[in-house]
Amino acid sequence: MKRMVAAVLLLGLLAGCGGQTASTAQQAPQTNAVVVAMDPNSEPTAGFDPAYGWGAGEHVHEPLIQSTLTVTNADLTIGYDLATDYTVSDDGLTWTVTLRDDAFFTDGEQLTASDVAFTYNTVKQASSVNDFTMLDRAEATGDFTVVFHMNRPFSIWPYTMAVVGIVPEHAYDSATYGRNPIGSGRYILQQWDPGQQVILRANPDYYGGAPAMEQVTILFMEEDVAFLAAQAGQVDVAYTSAVYAGEQVPGYALTAYQSVDNRGINLPAVPASTDAEGRTVGNDFTSDVQVRRAINLAVDRQAMIDNVLSGYGTPAYSVCDKLPWYNPAAEVAYDPEGAAALLDAAGWRMGADGVREKDGVPAQLNLLYATGDSVRQALAAELANQLGQIGISVSLEGVGWDTAYDRALSEPMVWGWGAHTPMELYNLYHTWDDTGLALYSPYVNETVDRYMDAALQSTDLETSYTLWQQAQWDGQTGVTQQGDVPWVWLVNVDHLYWVRDGLQIAAQKIHPHGHGWSLVNNVDQWSWAA
Amino acid sequence: MKKYINNRQATCALLALSALLLLAVLVAGLLLNERAMATDFSRRDLAPCAAFPFGTDWMGRDMLARTLAGLSLSIRIGLLTAAVSAVLALLLGAAAGGFGRKADAAVSWLTDLLLGIPHILLVLLISLACGRGLWGVVAGVSLSHWPSLARVIRGEIIQLRQAPYVLTATKLGVSRLQVARRHMLPHVLPQFVTGLVLQFPHAILHEASITFLGFGLSAEQPAIGVILSESMRYLTTGRWWLALFPGLALIGVVLLFAGIGDRLGRLLDPAGIHA
Repeated sequence: MKRMVAAVLLLGLLAGCGGQTASTAQQAPQTNAVVVAMDPNSEPTAGFDPAYGWGAGEHVHEPLIQSTLTVTNADLTIGYDLATDYTVSDDGLTWTVTLRDDAFFTDGEQLTASDVAFTYNTVKQASSVNDFTMLDRAEATGDFTVVFHMNRPFSIWPYTMAVVGIVPEHAYDSATYGRNPIGSGRYILQQWDPGQQVILRANPDYYGGAPAMEQVTILFMEEDVAFLAAQAGQVDVAYTSAVYAGEQVPGYALTAYQSVDNRGINLPAVPASTDAEGRTVGNDFTSDVQVRRAINLAVDRQAMIDNVLSGYGTPAYSVCDKLPWYNPAAEVAYDPEGAAALLDAAGWRMGADGVREKDGVPAQLNLLYATGDSVRQALAAELANQLGQIGISVSLEGVGWDTAYDRALSEPMVWGWGAHTPMELYNLYHTWDDTGLALYSPYVNETVDRYMDAALQSTDLETSYTLWQQAQWDGQTGVTQQGDVPWVWLVNVDHLYWVRDGLQIAAQKIHPHGHGWSLVNNVDQWSWAA
Repeated sequence: MKKYINNRQATCALLALSALLLLAVLVAGLLLNERAMATDFSRRDLAPCAAFPFGTDWMGRDMLARTLAGLSLSIRIGLLTAAVSAVLALLLGAAAGGFGRKADAAVSWLTDLLLGIPHILLVLLISLACGRGLWGVVAGVSLSHWPSLARVIRGEIIQLRQAPYVLTATKLGVSRLQVARRHMLPHVLPQFVTGLVLQFPHAILHEASITFLGFGLSAEQPAIGVILSESMRYLTTGRWWLALFPGLALIGVVLLFAGIGDRLGRLLDPAGIHA
């Protein structure tokens, strides 16, 4: 149905291609307003309520309408927004945060510690998208001092504080807040037409000074419609992808932003068995560590970028490339001969049909990808071709998300990750108490677990970065090429936009997974060239 | 110009030609299946040329091979689903017409129920319930296409039961089975065969539509529905060949089947033309 609507719109736009759209293209844009076309999936279905995923959901970004305690800096270290300082107790169980005293909600009430405590206690109760189990309760100990009592040490709490927008205790009703949010942030929600657009107006009383960009309009459009809207000159910024990278839009420049929006495959690291729920867990072929190392060596990442992403991407070696907790030891050079040698040494001999085998077992994989995602499909196809060259036969299968998570426990799948928090390393590589295996793809390494536990218990972020790095590779063991390689990372996908000439988009932080709101994190600093 | 062949012969010849063409597509698709799945990024997004008459897509797959493989898959699914649904229709129609009022009421109720639900929705629901994929599509299409044919057969049989020669045969003590075999079956057969063949285009189009909508075959299969839904993304960038040729080919196959059904109907039931 969406496609049909898109097709009808498309026809309409094509029909209107005569004189009318040409004139809109030349119209001088309003100097203090900007119109941005975004993917319809970026629209927050539950509204602009942090408790239901706004800013702090699957795809994190700055909530704009609300303020947060901390922010992430350009290099992904931690800076301050509402907070003026924070300290953590030696046991890691008590965080004390002092607040600025000049922040006001847009209804005129002052933002105090009780609002912060209320917000955190509410999201802990209500959030269905984020994990707040490490928090016991938040408590306002003074007008501008809030204390977080934790259930367990969680050194990366400042990264959580960077995405939770503070809501007003006096004006919060979970039933209506999402549609009529009141915050203390840079923008005020002026209008929201679900399924169509969001209009944000600058908050003139913002404590950081009124934003230069006074009006921000977000239009939700499918990719092909966004492209046509750019061609017709109806938007200032339109998201796009490598499919359109070869096109030209007069008056617009194709702009690429680096991301940690990575794609990688999981390689189940334990032999196949059946778990209590009847699911197959593990894979006999990929449980051989030499096979996983060979696959990592045999991936020509640059070829993938050129072929699938039209050059708009960077090679990925970990889930967190270029972030402060990234260990550069993960980097690995393309070496198909080395890969073949590893397989030979491990007893996987080349058969007559070009497929290796060991003790009668053929070297074959069934690689899964999410149906409908053409980038993942193409990456899977390219990977299958590349692995075919070293004698591993790969078949492809598109799966829906309803079955994907269970299937990936025993078969490799193309995933997308990349977040502004080291917690992602924990989610991918740390074992879970109930199964004794990592959550998404079975893997166990006690040393890796220990480093990550220590990282979470650390009371100093700098120290914790080092521990996260050691979890990846400590010189002896880890998840990199010399280690266990339970995941093979392929590429980071650049986020592409058509940007109208003259619009100056402020320097972007490295974008996380999700091609959406991250771009407008700093829309208050955008400007039009005179 | 002197007429060498009569209409009947011409129809037969056309029929054979159409059938041959479809068989050729079926076999070609089977043989090209390997080639249809092969990706080669060095030749992506080629417009139609001598080496690739239908062009290539964004993964460098040969669209001619893909289209033929897709049509072949469609024809195979069509054959299976049309056969299953026609047999279902025959059984249920015969039961309704021949096994008394209760059976009739039950079958008619079921028929009305299925006809009352929008067709594409019904196919989607059954396909989803059966776990999508090839078997979901087959189940969805074959379990939803029998009602109209069943109705026709039921009507025929009810009418036949009142025909003088059937009544006479019954009075003369011919067994029910004999009556059914000798008098009913030959009468119902043309309806059945025509109905069977005319199920094809329906089945193929429905298979393609639900696959297009993402509820059918999975995306790496060279199915026409997959090809068409992928091509939608690339229309705005001017890659017209991705949708045009596969679309035309699908229409061609459907028209061939419809033509075969029509001609077969006329051959089997010549009197019907004057009805």
